[in-house]
Amino acid sequence: MFEQIITMVFQTDFAFSIFRITAPILFAALAAVVAEKAGVVNIGLEGIMLICGLFGTLFSFWTQSWFIGVLGAIVVGILLALMIGFFALKLHTDIILAGIAVNTMSAGGTIFLLYLFTGERGNTASLTSSNILIPTIKIPGLHQIPILGDIFSGHAVLTYVAFLLVFLIWVLLYKTSIGLQIRAVGENAHAAESVGVSVIKIQYIALAISGILCGMGGAFMSMYYSQSWNTGLVAGRGFIALAAQAMGRGEPVGTMFSSLLFGFAQALRTKVSGVQGVSSNLISAMPYLVTIIGLVLYAASTMKKVKKIKNKDK
Amino acid sequence: MNNRRMFMFEIIRGAAAILVALIVAMVFIFICSDKPFEALRYMLVAPLITNGSISMNSIYTILAAMTPIIFTGLAVCVMFSSNQFNLGGEGCVMLGGFVAALVGIYWSTGTYLDIVIAVLVASAACAAVLYIPAVLKVKLGASEMVSSLMMNYIIMYVVLHFLNHVFADGSKGSVQTFPFAATAKIPQLVAGGSKLTWGFLIALLFTLLVALFMYRMRWGYSIRMIGINENFAKYSGMKVGAVIILSQVIGGFLSGMGGAIEVLGRYETFLWRDLPGHGWTGITVAILAKNNPIFIPVAAFFISYLNRGCTLMATYCDVPSEMVDIIQAVIFLFFAAEKFLAKYRQKLVVAGAKEEIAQKTASTPKAEGGEA
Repeated sequence: MFEQIITMVFQTDFAFSIFRITAPILFAALAAVVAEKAGVVNIGLEGIMLICGLFGTLFSFWTQSWFIGVLGAIVVGILLALMIGFFALKLHTDIILAGIAVNTMSAGGTIFLLYLFTGERGNTASLTSSNILIPTIKIPGLHQIPILGDIFSGHAVLTYVAFLLVFLIWVLLYKTSIGLQIRAVGENAHAAESVGVSVIKIQYIALAISGILCGMGGAFMSMYYSQSWNTGLVAGRGFIALAAQAMGRGEPVGTMFSSLLFGFAQALRTKVSGVQGVSSNLISAMPYLVTIIGLVLYAASTMKKVKKIKNKDK
Repeated sequence: MNNRRMFMFEIIRGAAAILVALIVAMVFIFICSDKPFEALRYMLVAPLITNGSISMNSIYTILAAMTPIIFTGLAVCVMFSSNQFNLGGEGCVMLGGFVAALVGIYWSTGTYLDIVIAVLVASAACAAVLYIPAVLKVKLGASEMVSSLMMNYIIMYVVLHFLNHVFADGSKGSVQTFPFAATAKIPQLVAGGSKLTWGFLIALLFTLLVALFMYRMRWGYSIRMIGINENFAKYSGMKVGAVIILSQVIGGFLSGMGGAIEVLGRYETFLWRDLPGHGWTGITVAILAKNNPIFIPVAAFFISYLNRGCTLMATYCDVPSEMVDIIQAVIFLFFAAEKFLAKYRQKLVVAGAKEEIAQKTASTPKAEGGEA
């Protein structure tokens, strides 16, 4: 049994699938990173992704263009994130509750909206055709290299975008003035306000960026990953992303590695569930267990650091 | 005086939130339906009245649907009161139901004690499960929100594993456990086919108990105080860590009990293949009740009524019942919005203060006159 699993793991298609599975988690995790940096907890990632996934499919169906589909998903993502912002920042709803409300809304609301717009029930399998899915690209040069080509070439456009965004978000946060303001607001809102930064405006911006990222994540799920939209599309990825953000210490690069870890765990689950004698249910629980363990390890290490600093002060 | 004013304000605000949600619902219904007024009538009135007379069966259905969400609402109430956003209620309902079913199948004593044992074992198991995120939060500072969310999925998959591979009744076409003993089944409250059981009364009893605990006992006071100001609680000598853990363990206990009573009351075997959703609904209920245990049954009634209305609407008209999620979310958002109608509240406060001043100035000359 174990031999079987190990030979599976050391195949190029397994490594390929890790990147494919990581991408949506990474989108959402980066969304969590940006929001968290500005001091807002966006727990609505899950719901936003589900709704964006639906609208991505709908827009691409209406316009027969995958690109407009993705753009539509992004716009919807921004609107939803700003709605959370409106309730949390303007009307002082606890932001966690505002996020939960979006998640509540997404579960049945998407089914309702789908019915409203198309008369379909529960999924969009009949709407999607292969020409409006997000295309994959074979990178010339890289594609010809035996092993590397199989792993790194031939992904969907958005998969590359996801990993590129790790760098872009890092640049945004650490090399631009808006990034500085975002970090200042998250670090100490009062201090930021005292030097003339509009805290609410920055938090709206951070939420909007997280909405953009969620929009891409949702579109990736419905327009590439599972090839059509259904209610179980996101399946907790928004929540896993929150954990990935926490485990990655809220930094883009760290978050990428923790997202890859979850991607690995899920890829393993997909592979192993076919093997005789392994319970697919227990394997399915693995990514979530890994999350808790990762969270604990991270929390324990921070605790140690804090203690060290405290001891030094004495 | 001022308190009554604020209470009135809260009621007006709640009504306004519901009104906004109903307007949203109406807009959707008008877009969606060919006969919108018919649909509205089904949504708003039909749960109570069918064919011109009050329908008891429909009311029993609503009350039965309230039972699990009263429990999860109470659980959320206790946990959120200490400012702990533990979202593990969802998993606990499933685990509670599963454990209760197993106890009812394999540990049956043949007496009605079965129910008590099954419910208590299930609740204790869930209390133990939510102890984990609570301890991780207190000892290590790990977010209870993230770890409890992850635990929901772990619970679901572990329960499914045991359901599929260990406790499945192989003779049945669908995956389910063996039926639990007749003595483990919670008896009906009213005769007939309705699913209303004694569990409903137990839920009301626990509402009272939790209310007493939160507002008449020292631990409950500590929980609320930590929620209001953790530092104040710490410096006034409360054991903050222990209280935070306690609140979540109680939350787990109550959620588990909700799941256990739901499964033992409504079903013959355990057959859930997915998280049931009562945990999330419990959050909505707790928000509508403003985290006050006494109002939980009222909020639960409202939500159940709404659900029933939307189900009826979907059955008899051309509007999908899933619209209820949108209505719920809108009400939820406005209820939780502290600044919603804040200007009106400001006016009320000012009016109250002016009145008080007017009363004082009116009474002081009299007092002076008396002295003279």
